[in-house]
Amino acid sequence: MALRDQLRVLVVDDMSTSRGLITNALDSFGIRNVTSASDGPTALQKLAQSPVHLVISDYNMPGMDGLQLLHSLRSNAPTRGVGFLLITGRADREIIDLGKKLGMNNFLKKPFDAPKLRASIEAIVGKL
Amino acid sequence: MSDPMAEIRASFFIECEELLESLQDGLISMENGDTDSETINVVFRAVHSIKGGAGAFGLDDLVKFAHRFETAMDEVRAGRFTPDSDAIRLFFCCADLLGDLVRAARDDITIPHNTTAPVLNELDRLVGCEDDVEEELDFTPAILSLDMGDTQGLPDITGLPPLSDAPILETDVSVTAPLPSAPKGFSIHFKPETSLYASGNEPLYLLRALRDLGDLVVTCNTQRVPTLNTLDPDDGYLSWHLKVLTEEPIEVVREVFEFVDGLCALDITPLSASSYDPIFSDSTDQVDLQTTLIDVSEPPVAPPQIEAPVENAAQEAVQPEPPQKDDIPPTETPEITQDTQKKQPSAPAKTTSTPTQPRATVRVDLERVDRLVNLVGELVINQAMLSQSVAEAGLPPNSPVSTGLEEFLQLTRDIQESVMMIRAQPIKSLFQRMGRIVRESSASVGKQVRLHTLGENTEVDKTVIERLADPLTHMIRNAVDHGLESPEKREAAGKTCEGSVTMTAQHRSGRILIEISDDGAGINRARVREKAIEKNLITEEMQLSDSDIDSLLFMPGFSTASEISNLSGRGVGMDVVKSSIQSLGGRITISSVEGKGTTFSISLPLTLAVLDGMVVRVGGETLVVPLNAILETLTLTDDDLKALGPETHVVQIRGGFVPLLDLGAELGYRSPQDSYVGRTVLLIGQEDGNRAALAVDAIEDQRQVVIKGLEGSYGRVPGIAAATILGDGQIALILDPTDLVSQATGKTKKRNAPVPIAG
Repeated sequence: MALRDQLRVLVVDDMSTSRGLITNALDSFGIRNVTSASDGPTALQKLAQSPVHLVISDYNMPGMDGLQLLHSLRSNAPTRGVGFLLITGRADREIIDLGKKLGMNNFLKKPFDAPKLRASIEAIVGKL
Repeated sequence: MSDPMAEIRASFFIECEELLESLQDGLISMENGDTDSETINVVFRAVHSIKGGAGAFGLDDLVKFAHRFETAMDEVRAGRFTPDSDAIRLFFCCADLLGDLVRAARDDITIPHNTTAPVLNELDRLVGCEDDVEEELDFTPAILSLDMGDTQGLPDITGLPPLSDAPILETDVSVTAPLPSAPKGFSIHFKPETSLYASGNEPLYLLRALRDLGDLVVTCNTQRVPTLNTLDPDDGYLSWHLKVLTEEPIEVVREVFEFVDGLCALDITPLSASSYDPIFSDSTDQVDLQTTLIDVSEPPVAPPQIEAPVENAAQEAVQPEPPQKDDIPPTETPEITQDTQKKQPSAPAKTTSTPTQPRATVRVDLERVDRLVNLVGELVINQAMLSQSVAEAGLPPNSPVSTGLEEFLQLTRDIQESVMMIRAQPIKSLFQRMGRIVRESSASVGKQVRLHTLGENTEVDKTVIERLADPLTHMIRNAVDHGLESPEKREAAGKTCEGSVTMTAQHRSGRILIEISDDGAGINRARVREKAIEKNLITEEMQLSDSDIDSLLFMPGFSTASEISNLSGRGVGMDVVKSSIQSLGGRITISSVEGKGTTFSISLPLTLAVLDGMVVRVGGETLVVPLNAILETLTLTDDDLKALGPETHVVQIRGGFVPLLDLGAELGYRSPQDSYVGRTVLLIGQEDGNRAALAVDAIEDQRQVVIKGLEGSYGRVPGIAAATILGDGQIALILDPTDLVSQATGKTKKRNAPVPIAG
């Protein structure tokens, strides 16, 4: 069984367009176990109900941003080990450094295409 | 499902419209002095998100523009640039252009660079930021080892601490799920006295009115019902224990029982958390309740056959407003209808820039909704036909068929309202478009104008919103161009340099009232009169009241501006505005105070699909008169009627005189009658406060009718708004009372042959 068949992913983005694009791309890689959330708190709730291997989250979201979500994930034992890919429109040093500190696994700058997304996921979990 | 990318792309553009709306909202807040970081963040994020999505679809023009705009907003966000009113005006301009670019991308049109370049240059000059070069960032991805063996590498969730315990970074973000709050509502003990039944009241209607407030659990106490041999059929033995879950205050609940005040023992107590009865949370308990209802079919001890409890939850999810209460059967007097309609939630409080939890929504093709609206329309007609057949079959009023049909009527109404709700949209999008019109038109004539909006969450049928855009645009341009004075003149008149245009929307008496007012110089009536004489619209001898003169503005071919400015005066006059409003079933009136300003009021029906009407007979024809136009109905006595002039009558109603019109004669169905004593008249009220009494032969019924447009086939028929199909399959014309009154001859005496204006 290939990794892509088992991998469970949660996509977090306040824009439904982005969620759709990422989910669509994941689908084209053969990753079908995908759920999505439109904000950080919802993501945490979903994770509490069903765990995933990888969280792909946007940085700029109202209320709780991507790094705050990451911080929450890393602060809770059950979600501490989850993979985290940050998607950001502006790859400022500040954001990346903080992400590094908080234990983000990888980041991807917008705009990106499917191969780029695939590469950044494979950099975290290995060949899909 | 076709191409998923095409679908995502389409949804992107819809999402963009929402983002543009919050962008406008944010800018309006900023314009009003809001410097809250979250407001600025909302603006930034809207631009940022549009850019992000546009990048994914390779919409380069949009990305480039959004990027520059975003950079500027980032400067504001970081506190490096504090925008003044000029800067905010420029941001508005950017937001407008961003909207243009989004729509251009959607429709595959290219906007020439010279449209955006000056604005971008201005932006760079003002904010003074150069595009920052993004540095190369070194980052080594952290590899995650996933053991996909027996545990599948998934973290164990059982030990997850409560989410609220999770430490939160920097800002305080609550991640706790909202706790189910104690239910809001009332516990009601209701014990009707015998006098309640004796005075013709029916507990069933009260319970129905309560049900409209929220979920209702009905328990009927039948203990006092004696054995049959001792039962007095005129006595009331039943009492009820009711629980209603509602957000409404206690006054609203009390109001339901207003008309039985003193005729019953009534005890209303708010439900407290401690008295919270799990009956609401456990549906299995509810089944037992039904067994406590007994089925006796003889009034007055007949208990209402109400399903207990009534499920309103699904309905509430669709409609945020409580259902309208005007669906209580026709025992109601018109006064009550007016009263309950007033309570319809008018514009809720203006939303602020604080992010609200997005509601779960489903996007549906409008065509599907329209099909549903049509089908429901047919259902209403069908239901009316069925009711008529049942009535003609002579079944007793309490037969299961009749009661079942009554429930059916109620359901049809509910379905119809819910379907209409789907089509309804806040008028906000339209108001925002007008904001742009004000900004652009004021700039082109060199006036400073601020647009104020009120009631932008008022919900209006989508079609109405779309078709209002053109007339409103024209009226706004007019207000800016002709209504408001130049800054110098304003100062001379002791006003602020900045003129103001106010747009309001509200629900009133089952209609939508939109007002556009300016604080300009008002209508120069002398000039209007002069102009009208010049254009042969009126003669010099004509004596005209102020409102008559104001109405001249709506005459075809009238234009007051002495020289055609580059703004209005495009050959489209107020007459075109008036006819487009009329084609929506609406009316427009004007009022003006010299030196203070002018107000245009537009009154529109809530929906274009159905109408509450009074079915009347006149001259052998059946007509429907819109209920909202009828103030009251009365039977004429000799004393009421006063002759006025050789051919006309007036009716004396409570100290005032109202012109009498014979509907049959006005429509050319018959000649004026010899006498109108004993005739039924409908007192018609109009937006401008004028009234008229319409004489008809008989009132047949009051019912909801489905509007079938006539204009497609017959053009505009004076005095007639549309047609409908009645329960017996008969076609009836729907009257346009205001139009009829304005064109009426008023002839109510036999002298000359009547001049038909329709028929």
